[in-house]
Amino acid sequence: MNYQKQFTHMFLAHLKMTFREKQAWFWGIFFPVILMVLFMFIFAGGTNREFQADIAVVDPSPNEASQMLLEQIRQLPVFTIESGEPVNREQAEQWIKDKKVDAALILPESAEAGTVQLIVNKENEQSAVTQAIAGIVEQFIQQANLAAAGVQPAYSLQFSAVTSGSGELEYRDFLLTGMIALAIAQSGLFGMSDMVEMRRKGLLKRLRMTPARMGLYGLSDMINRLVFCVIQIVLLSAIGVFGFGANVHIHLGGLIVLFLAGALAFAAMGYFISSFSKTMEAYMGVANIASFLMMFLSGVFIPVETLPDWLQPVADVLPLTYFVDGLRTTMVYASGFSSSYWMELGVLAGWGVITYIIGSFLYKSKSIAATR
Amino acid sequence: MSVLSVSHLRKHFGSVRAVEDISFEVEAGEIFTIIGPNGAGKTTTLEMVEGLVPPDGGTITYGSMTWEKNADEIKMKIGVQPQSGALFDLLTVEENMKLFSTFYSKQRPVDEILNIVNLTEHRRKLVKNLSGGQRQRLAIGLAMINDPEILFLDEPTTGLDPQARRNIWDIVRELKQLGKTVILTTHYMEEAETLSDRVCIVDQGRVVTMDTPAALIGRLTREREVRLTMTDGAGAAAEVERHLRELSSVMRVEREGKALRFWSVQPEESIYDLIGFARDRGYSIEQMSIREMSLEDVFIAFTGKEWRD
Repeated sequence: MNYQKQFTHMFLAHLKMTFREKQAWFWGIFFPVILMVLFMFIFAGGTNREFQADIAVVDPSPNEASQMLLEQIRQLPVFTIESGEPVNREQAEQWIKDKKVDAALILPESAEAGTVQLIVNKENEQSAVTQAIAGIVEQFIQQANLAAAGVQPAYSLQFSAVTSGSGELEYRDFLLTGMIALAIAQSGLFGMSDMVEMRRKGLLKRLRMTPARMGLYGLSDMINRLVFCVIQIVLLSAIGVFGFGANVHIHLGGLIVLFLAGALAFAAMGYFISSFSKTMEAYMGVANIASFLMMFLSGVFIPVETLPDWLQPVADVLPLTYFVDGLRTTMVYASGFSSSYWMELGVLAGWGVITYIIGSFLYKSKSIAATR
Repeated sequence: MSVLSVSHLRKHFGSVRAVEDISFEVEAGEIFTIIGPNGAGKTTTLEMVEGLVPPDGGTITYGSMTWEKNADEIKMKIGVQPQSGALFDLLTVEENMKLFSTFYSKQRPVDEILNIVNLTEHRRKLVKNLSGGQRQRLAIGLAMINDPEILFLDEPTTGLDPQARRNIWDIVRELKQLGKTVILTTHYMEEAETLSDRVCIVDQGRVVTMDTPAALIGRLTREREVRLTMTDGAGAAAEVERHLRELSSVMRVEREGKALRFWSVQPEESIYDLIGFARDRGYSIEQMSIREMSLEDVFIAFTGKEWRD
């Protein structure tokens, strides 16, 4: 008997079945792509748009101070003055009610009465735009005060973000790596539903009645799954990089090892779920719970650090947390075998080995009862 | 020559005594059928014989080979069609066959098998698009892929319509023509009666009886059931009933209105007498039939249970 021929046929059969399975296409390819594109549009923005606000300016009695402030407001790139000129108060309030402008500024009535009034729509009082406008106006008035008093500011704040790696981690990079990790995790978690189907249909038993090497069968299945995961990575990366300008700096060795560990660990978790699920519905239920839990708690869409304190320990035990971190390390920072990398790899391997052992044990102990 | 010998098989699953004591020998080239009600232990017995489940006690030998020593050789010599179709739904008929054929060192050509199981024109169809009968035929085809000497067909016709069932019967007969030994389980008495060379009736994990269908039926008493209806109504039927009760060959009589049933150890004699009696009185008989004995009666006689399909 020719094992190589046997393996080739098994692998080709798995490949054909995967590509003929509409579920695999939907959940493995279509769903992660749609999800990523949506999140990219919503949170990362297609372009580098700066903050912009439309405001109305009311100058009840033009004077020297108000003229000066008006000129300086015109210089601010973040504000667009509606109709370009000051209007009367009624007009400004109407615009606010109609949401034609985000806010109205009422300039001081005389050079001595130094009050600048800011009017916003009551509904938007707490909104981020209002906060931003208030902050900018306050800053602006500070500057004006200092200038009026003829003082040079002693301190100034310069704002810049830093990351620990070579590139700057933007949200789009964060999201891209998160989505790749999620897609691979989902493939593993949901993919093992085949085992439930094969057991239910008696296919596992049928194969055991032939001289086929079951180890070879399992191996061909696994390699087929890895091929599918590589397609997911390449497709998502291509969309992220070319469609949304995500930055990728890959440490290839680290990425390959981590990818293998992750794909195998999540497949082992799926195998574990299949070992105690008698029906497809039961399997899908458990896999969905695991998947949703990890989707929101493992730093796929939002950083783990922003979760409430009491949820942090949950995130700390989930395997996807480590897989996502590892992918960010190896795909965005191009840093390879650091101590945190080994730790991430170790946790993934631990999850994989433990779930695989429990799963095999359940298969052996319950197989007769479950397959009769 | 015996190709398979099973002796004193026993298997318990916890408190469930699936198989208590089953022994039989299968001769080369025969169609050997195991029948019995649900839960009688048929499938468990087959699974032990097929090497899937290790028995708690007893021995299984294929000639001089056993599962402990010659598992791979036995697997090369047998072909199995399990009760649940067990096919790859997303592969075509042909792809299923080609995949299975790589498991074995010896193959029967796929074209030939497709011809036997009558699936040549569906060879490029995905299995999920096949009908129940076609799926079952493919499952039998897969069991033939290694050109085995012994084929196990576990309830191949369950759930099929009468036409599809007859197609399967033709395939089983063809297997016999090819000189194969076929071990069959079924739910249908009629099937066991028409197909089998020998029948083994099992119940509650034990062999109840085993022989050719004709010999099993012949072992029953000569008592036959006769049914008839009197044209002239209940009065005439009551009079005939009284007459029948006087005949020594008639063991039992039942009457419902103008319909009569009686059981006789000499049915021809009793009927002859009955017709003479009716003619003397000027009564006419509307319908009359003698019920043939079947395996179903054998089953009832040996187990004391009603047969349910």
